[in-house]
Amino acid sequence: MGAMTDITERPGALDLLKAPVTVLVGHFGAGKTEIAINLAVAFKRRGEVVALADLDLVKPYFRSRLARHELGALGVGVVVPEGDMVYADLPILVPQVKGLIARAGDGAGRLVIDVGGDDLGARVLGAIAGLTDPSHTDVLFVVNGRRPFAETLDEVATMLREVEVAARLRITGLVANTHLMEETSPAVVREGLDLARQLAGLTGIPLRFCAVLARVAALPELDDARAICPILPLERRIVPPFAVKVRLPVPLKGAAVV
Amino acid sequence: MAKKLMKGCEAIGEAAIHAGCRLFFGYPITPQNEIPEYMSARLPQVGGVFLQAESEVAASNMLYGAAGAGCRVFTSSSSPGISLMAEAISYIAGAELPVVIVNIMRGGPGLGGILPSQSDYFQATKGGGHGDYRVLVLAPSTVQEAADLTQDAFDLADHYRNPVMVVGDGLIGQMMEPVEFKRSISPEELPAKPWATTGCSDRKPNIINSLFLNPEELEAHNWHLHRKYQDMAREIRWESWKLEEPVDVLIVAYGTVARICKTAIDTLRARGVKVGLFRPISLFPYPSEQLSQAVEKAGKVLVTELSTGQMLEDVQAIVAGRKPVSFYGRVGGMVMSPEEIEREVDKLVAS
Repeated sequence: MGAMTDITERPGALDLLKAPVTVLVGHFGAGKTEIAINLAVAFKRRGEVVALADLDLVKPYFRSRLARHELGALGVGVVVPEGDMVYADLPILVPQVKGLIARAGDGAGRLVIDVGGDDLGARVLGAIAGLTDPSHTDVLFVVNGRRPFAETLDEVATMLREVEVAARLRITGLVANTHLMEETSPAVVREGLDLARQLAGLTGIPLRFCAVLARVAALPELDDARAICPILPLERRIVPPFAVKVRLPVPLKGAAVV
Repeated sequence: MAKKLMKGCEAIGEAAIHAGCRLFFGYPITPQNEIPEYMSARLPQVGGVFLQAESEVAASNMLYGAAGAGCRVFTSSSSPGISLMAEAISYIAGAELPVVIVNIMRGGPGLGGILPSQSDYFQATKGGGHGDYRVLVLAPSTVQEAADLTQDAFDLADHYRNPVMVVGDGLIGQMMEPVEFKRSISPEELPAKPWATTGCSDRKPNIINSLFLNPEELEAHNWHLHRKYQDMAREIRWESWKLEEPVDVLIVAYGTVARICKTAIDTLRARGVKVGLFRPISLFPYPSEQLSQAVEKAGKVLVTELSTGQMLEDVQAIVAGRKPVSFYGRVGGMVMSPEEIEREVDKLVAS
């Protein structure tokens, strides 16, 4: 990889994820899918064995399964419904997920689970055994304070509790992911960090990392944010067809990470 | 107000609230479920009513009733659901009631699939239901534009006392972009509707009806509606993009497809290819005159749609044989890439 700045070469967000299973939950549209894909790619680049399970039973478009061929080419196993059902908007829970959870960390590598939004999307977790041990499974709650119904501390705290009830799981970490896509400024990122820290203060659940578009993450204006928590630089992988797509094998150039 | 990151569906819902709409009646169908979902959460917060009807047929007739009572009201659906609403839309047009209908189009015919499509162009712009009627049709290409046009749709519906339809392919409904709501009006601030059936203790009864047994009266009503549809020409909207200078190829596209074309045009222009875009925003009334002028300064015309060629027929009629018109379509939920558009333009330039 030479002199390229790569998140796999630095300590940071990934080092805090000790458990072999990472589950991403949160509000509808909070950014779980992009973070799940970016985490899977980052773990893979570290040389780990990684599988990504798409358990999004809520949204019909822009699901992580859309990246299945590119992830597969990188060597990330992707667990999605088979055949034509991959296109369906049906609540299909792929049975292999249970085996992957049981075997994760035990020679079978890591498993990243992308879950649908809100308590509705998290409900599927309540039907899956083997996720309740925090040393085995990290359950990360992703917060984007610029999303509808997620703009105040009260709203995100309420959703966090509703997700825990629906998933029948304890949330073990918070991820700050406040952004406005390409219009994200350092000020928006800081505003999101504030909201996530308030949520951490209220719930006692630690803030694990802040996810930021790679281009913004590299800005010096975010140096103060880096002192608060690690930053996970993100490359958008699931984009509409008019966007110029970043191909998966492209390294995360220029992204400074603490 | 601070910008929010919203899906097109959510932005459309919030725009309706900013337009003073407090009533939503609908029935779920992918890929527009986020609109009823959003309204079910938001309307109770602002003193409105969300009602999931037993079917699209019921929902669309609830629109008839609420609009007749003078309320701003809207529904949303996706292609098969709009077909079910066609009868009520004809009745609403006949009775001259203002309603807003959103169609987040998916692949058809029949149940089709849940992925993006633009194959309801004929249905939206040429009728869909029975009788001589038209609905004003607006086609956004960004989430911000979806919000803005939805707000405008309520004003236009009230002004013309006619259904206004906002059509988006599935992508517009599902993708997320930053949105800002620049204006807001409360139901109390809306202009009065003296024709509405609001109780008649101190005036002659208002009658809302689409039944005219007397043929002379029905003929007069039809010509009255016709003149109204002609008046809608004032609402023509379009975007000309990179058409300041003559072009070798003029691309005509609307909605998300127009954005795919813009990405392709940027690449083509970097290679020195003279190409530009004409994007109709109002699909009825169609910007015929404006397109006609753009065609004058173009060598060839390329129409591209997520259909097997529907808007194509209107463009062919406008071009009227003056320039060659070619077509590139994807269907079934398949969406063309910018590279496919580049390839089509290259072929036209080389031929």
